[in-house]
Amino acid sequence: MEKLSSLTPEQITQDLLPKKFGKWGKIWTAILIAICLIGAYAYYRQIRYGLVVTNMRDYVSWGIYISNFVFFVAISLVGSLITAIFRLANIEWATPLTRIAEIIAVSAIVFASLIIIVDMGRPERFMYLFLYGRIQSPIMWDVIVIMTYFCISLLLLYMPLLPDLKILLKFKEKSGNALHKLYRFQGSFWQGTKAQFKISEKAITILCVAIIPVAFSIHTVTSWLFATTYRPGWDSTNFGAYFISGAFLVGAGGVVVAMYIFRKFYHLEKYITELHFDKMGKLLVMLSLLYLYFNINEFMTPAFKMKKSEAGHLNELFSGTYAPMFWFAIIGGLIVPIIGLLFKKGRKPLPMFVIAILVVVCAWFKRYLIVTPTLLHPFMPMQEVPASYHHYFPSWEEWAIAMGSLAGALLIITFFARIYPIIPIQETLTEKNEAEKL
Amino acid sequence: MKQKNYKANLFATILFFTIPIVSFCQSDSTTTEKTEEEKPTLSLNVSYHANTNNSMYLLVDTKAKIDGKFTPIKAIKVNLYLDENTDSTIIGKFITDKNGQAKAILPISLQHKWKSKATHTFLAISEATKNFEETTTETIITKSKIEIDTTNDGETKTVTAKVLTFNGTNWVAKPEVELKIGIVRAGGGILSVGEEETFTTDETGVATATFNKDSLPGDAKGYLTLIAKIDQHDEIGNITQEKIIPWGKPSKIDNSFFDKRSLWSTRFRTPIWLLFMAYSIIIGVWGTIIYLIMQIIKIKKLGKINTNTF
Repeated sequence: MEKLSSLTPEQITQDLLPKKFGKWGKIWTAILIAICLIGAYAYYRQIRYGLVVTNMRDYVSWGIYISNFVFFVAISLVGSLITAIFRLANIEWATPLTRIAEIIAVSAIVFASLIIIVDMGRPERFMYLFLYGRIQSPIMWDVIVIMTYFCISLLLLYMPLLPDLKILLKFKEKSGNALHKLYRFQGSFWQGTKAQFKISEKAITILCVAIIPVAFSIHTVTSWLFATTYRPGWDSTNFGAYFISGAFLVGAGGVVVAMYIFRKFYHLEKYITELHFDKMGKLLVMLSLLYLYFNINEFMTPAFKMKKSEAGHLNELFSGTYAPMFWFAIIGGLIVPIIGLLFKKGRKPLPMFVIAILVVVCAWFKRYLIVTPTLLHPFMPMQEVPASYHHYFPSWEEWAIAMGSLAGALLIITFFARIYPIIPIQETLTEKNEAEKL
Repeated sequence: MKQKNYKANLFATILFFTIPIVSFCQSDSTTTEKTEEEKPTLSLNVSYHANTNNSMYLLVDTKAKIDGKFTPIKAIKVNLYLDENTDSTIIGKFITDKNGQAKAILPISLQHKWKSKATHTFLAISEATKNFEETTTETIITKSKIEIDTTNDGETKTVTAKVLTFNGTNWVAKPEVELKIGIVRAGGGILSVGEEETFTTDETGVATATFNKDSLPGDAKGYLTLIAKIDQHDEIGNITQEKIIPWGKPSKIDNSFFDKRSLWSTRFRTPIWLLFMAYSIIIGVWGTIIYLIMQIIKIKKLGKINTNTF
């Protein structure tokens, strides 16, 4: 922060203006587009030949797509944590992270919606949900709450962007004609008057208040999709809190990964400082402990009783086929962050980056473990089905679509950072002015 | 140094041009090999199925290995014969459906021949097509049956299934036959009566299973359908025998909720409290969103006023 006070407003503006892709930016974008195209081709095959190209069958009818959906919904919750909760709590150090968190939220929720449509197999029937949907069904609640969360997140991304658009309009030569037109379309009306600021501030506060219950709802309802289904491993009253705590953890991990990458490649060391990593590290420890607590709740009580119906599922997780993945997710996603980030050295940018990647990857596998093993252990015995129905491993089409959706979400973030300032310029300038006055 | 670079460049250029040419030649030779390749082999199979009512049918199945996977082949013309390939012993001419299957029953004209001996041969001949050569297969079966018996001594319920084959004059016990003994599930599957998935007949042709599914829901009077099934036996084919037993729990059909508002009813009978809650939340949240969009419009108007003023 000390470094920031020594900078002039012009320097800050120049530093934070969006930059053209360098060599690595182009390579990164090309790789993401290639993965998306492979995913699109796999989806074409799924549309052409039907869901038979996947390895989902009668028992595992929710495979990697739904795992991915839960992952996306989870990571999208970070928008409400960093932007809304921190803003309402006047946590000023989080200012440079708010836009990163919001764009992660928006991109994740876009692909959460898309992956659900992919899982439907017959996308043209999506409208039936609205034409013939039953409000009694948690699936209907999920559709409604996802749309709501998307709109609120988009507004929360757009409203604080208005003052920055005014700044961007001043740099036509740097941004080029096309982007200039886009900025003018989106924000030419922003004059920065007191009246406009007053309305904007009020609207942002309302958004921050509104997004918290909606964010909690979105993931609680997602957890209810499982918990209201009578199956071993899902028949739990702990699921809402278990999902929310896990979502905050993976979301915070995602923000740390993005912080590190933007800081390194956009040279934002003066704005995203070691202090931010230190604070986020402490937050990650707290969230890991919270999620660990809910994990213990989730597994210890059924494991203590080992009811016959649950035993097969739990044994598969603890010591069976899924044990390596399960223990990797628990140790890598919970234990390593708790131990590693307790020490100050662990909260330095690079170790934080490595641990945050581990948190995100383990979180993805954790969602896979929530969905698949349970489906392979129904209460009624699996009989009279081909041997292949007893196992599930995604087909290449499923992998390609899932990876394509992840690449798509990253592509939205990448293009956003190319077009808009990833750190709010106006808010940074205001904070600098206020700091100087003090 | 220059000489070294020249050599390296020359080598790289040769490699650059050689790889595509070699690949082209290889792909070309592969194509030639493919065209010279023989037509894929059609897998033709006839299976014999008989059930409780002594009704039987034959299932013709055609498939071929395409791209490493067995794929059903439709529209294959198959002639099916009983024992020998003559006009008088033809069971019928069939065309396989999209699942590569055709179902056949024995015509009345062949009933006498069918009853005349214990062992029969089903001969299937598929006609040659553009993609497949003519294929012939035969399945030999010996007439067999299963008899089911149940005992209940108050503590243990036992099911015995006896497999018998016809030797031309008598039904004789058939040992070492693997079969399933279970309850017919709603939907057609079989839920084994015991812990084992399958049972095997002893030297007296009997397989015994202890019934340990005590709390299975039956019909309104508690009846369950017991089934013994032999699948794809080389000599016997596929046969089943069913028996109705009163070992289930009577299912009481609860109609008290019928036509009432509930969480599991149609969308037209949603509980009022749920409608009230859901729509209150939707209106509350979307009302806020609309209000916020109005605020953006307000900011826009203020901006335009200021632009005009200045």
